[in-house]
Amino acid sequence: MVQGSTKVLVVDDAMFMRVRCSKLLSENGYSVFEAENGEQAVKKYLELKPDVVLMDITMPVMDGLAALTEILKNDPNAKVIMCTALGQQSVALEAIKSGARDFVTKPYKPEKLLRAVEMATSDRSQ
Amino acid sequence: MDVRFLNPFISAAYNVLLEEAGVTAKRGEVKVDEFYYTSEEITVLIGVTGSVRGLVLYGLSQGTAIRLVSTILGKKIPYFDSLVESGIAELGNEIAGGATSELEANGYPCRISPPTVLLGKGVIISTVNIKGVTVPLETEFGPIQIVIALREESSER
Repeated sequence: MVQGSTKVLVVDDAMFMRVRCSKLLSENGYSVFEAENGEQAVKKYLELKPDVVLMDITMPVMDGLAALTEILKNDPNAKVIMCTALGQQSVALEAIKSGARDFVTKPYKPEKLLRAVEMATSDRSQ
Repeated sequence: MDVRFLNPFISAAYNVLLEEAGVTAKRGEVKVDEFYYTSEEITVLIGVTGSVRGLVLYGLSQGTAIRLVSTILGKKIPYFDSLVESGIAELGNEIAGGATSELEANGYPCRISPPTVLLGKGVIISTVNIKGVTVPLETEFGPIQIVIALREESSER
């Protein structure tokens, strides 16, 4: 269980994925915030300064890669984990090159998602 | 239809249902459906483009959809709502994503469209010149029909 002060921003256009990730993370002690697209994610990042962002790639309005770039422009130390469907790993690797900390593949295994978030938060001071 | 395009979708459906909902699916008798399919209460449509192209459909009842999403989220959902709709679309997306990943590994790179959900039973859907195969899956939450209508891009219709 994690301290409740650790903030995670979950970004996904699919309500089901937001609800699912939020439930898992809040049950494990994280404070969770949600955004439905990349543009909202950038706004909420600046407003909330979350410790970690879980970012879907394919979204309307602004996709995950564009949102990653915008967030890193404002905070080069942002910890963004990309969330990708099978078959999109090449895009996820592109995101890693652009500064994302990690990526997780859907369907999520809860323990893998939690480990990725924990790993990202473990170097919060950097 | 080429069995090389069929099996990735069946195995991906097994995997996703097992991993997400802990459900073991049992395959029924595969049917060749020609060019038309009649929708179930909920039908998820996903387009495939690339070296393999066409349409994949998943049909199920509202009850099956509610039971599946309730199980995955670990909470009882009383009726079909936008959360269940989103969950079923995501499951369809994950199955198609897993299948196309396998197709790509087998030398058939392709992409999938975002899922579309058709609400309403009895609508006739044409796959237009691409013959579909229906794979019925039996699960403890109810039956799920998967219709796979794909062809290799360069092949003759």
